[in-house]
Amino acid sequence: MGLSVQVRAENVGTFRFIHVFLMETLARWVPNTREMEVKVLFGRHVWDLAQQADALGKRTYELRAPLQFSLRPIERYAKFLEEFAITAPTPQKIAGFYDVVLPGLAARYQRYLASTDRLLDEPTVRVMERILDEFTRMQSDCRALRDELPQLRLNDREWTARLAELEAADSDIVAHRATAAVA
Amino acid sequence: MVQVKPEETKQVKGMTLRRDPLREECFQVVHSDAEMHEWPGMTPTSMRERLHRHMNNETGAIEIAAQCLVDFPDAPWELRMHLARQCWDESRHVAALYRRLREIGGRKGEFPISNFEWSITCMLDSLAARLALQNRTFEAGELDLLGQLPAKWREVGDERTPEVLESILSDEITHVRFANQWVKRMVQEDRRLLLKIAMAVRFLSAVTAAVAPKEGELSPVGVVFTAPKDRVPQVNIEDRRHAEFSDDEIEQFLRQSGYQSIMTAGSEG
Repeated sequence: MGLSVQVRAENVGTFRFIHVFLMETLARWVPNTREMEVKVLFGRHVWDLAQQADALGKRTYELRAPLQFSLRPIERYAKFLEEFAITAPTPQKIAGFYDVVLPGLAARYQRYLASTDRLLDEPTVRVMERILDEFTRMQSDCRALRDELPQLRLNDREWTARLAELEAADSDIVAHRATAAVA
Repeated sequence: MVQVKPEETKQVKGMTLRRDPLREECFQVVHSDAEMHEWPGMTPTSMRERLHRHMNNETGAIEIAAQCLVDFPDAPWELRMHLARQCWDESRHVAALYRRLREIGGRKGEFPISNFEWSITCMLDSLAARLALQNRTFEAGELDLLGQLPAKWREVGDERTPEVLESILSDEITHVRFANQWVKRMVQEDRRLLLKIAMAVRFLSAVTAAVAPKEGELSPVGVVFTAPKDRVPQVNIEDRRHAEFSDDEIEQFLRQSGYQSIMTAGSEG
């Protein structure tokens, strides 16, 4: 059995919240990061994240929720995002975003795609598949930059592993609502 | 409304400005255009300095648009989308200018840089005022500049740099246009914003006057500064129209600029 319309809207709204949060995180990091090439990388991906949030927000409207509806995730995941957003050293910002947060989010999209009815929910499927393709491009942009500037590589594997553990602490991060209305 | 904390500010010639965004150690950050190393003409050094300065200005433009996304989370989503798009455009501009700078033998940090636009714009506590200054004033000024610069580069046999500058120009028109549309819309909805914009313009004038070099003073590279009255810019009327400045606004700007050398539709750039 697939997901109800309400559960789909809640999931899409939660993903939208995360994309807006990540867009703001990269935006905050642009002036607070020293390296010009990294500012450029983040600046490019601010727009990707905004477009992805926009596509998700248009889809929420088609799922009987408001246009550009965002749903804050469960507290532990929201806290994880907030703590990650205050990361200061550039290699950590890059590793955290491109090696942990994006892959973690991609895995969540894959889980959603595996659980929804791909025919009934095809508009959501298309949006998510596009986002996954874009994640691949964004990670490839990051890889190219780290190849060009190896000093941006993070050698502290423990830090990345700890962050990945926090990211994956909850498989369902949607703060489901009791009522039928998701607005 | 955004409140800039005292630790986020700096003092320059008695004016309180936003502290500079972070830069790599290789850069020497100065606090006014008067401290920049602007060589006259189109010598190889002057050409590198022009690209270097422009590259940092575009970096500042990413930072200002990005900071607006951070400082005004409740702005209409459509407007935030424009700001996010601007972040992408300005990022591409930095990358293109840096590529060209390296092609002509330049490097990051070769010349001093100034974050003048950031330091002023990011002191303002309303998005309407920031758009009025950054997009409708500074970037509109860039339309004028970019309207005439490609010809200068072509005169010295460079075809590649004008290609970069003309691409940047078309993007900047879009940034000025969305600001024109949104500032008008925001002011229609809340007339009090007019006061915020007027105060922002006054703040810009005060800072500009405070940091301006005195007439006859020499620049760090030994060039005599010209008096403001002798520095009349060419006005890119065609692109100001593309950016949806009204004819009245253009006329007013021409009057303020001194009318001297008006770039008519279809001439340079």
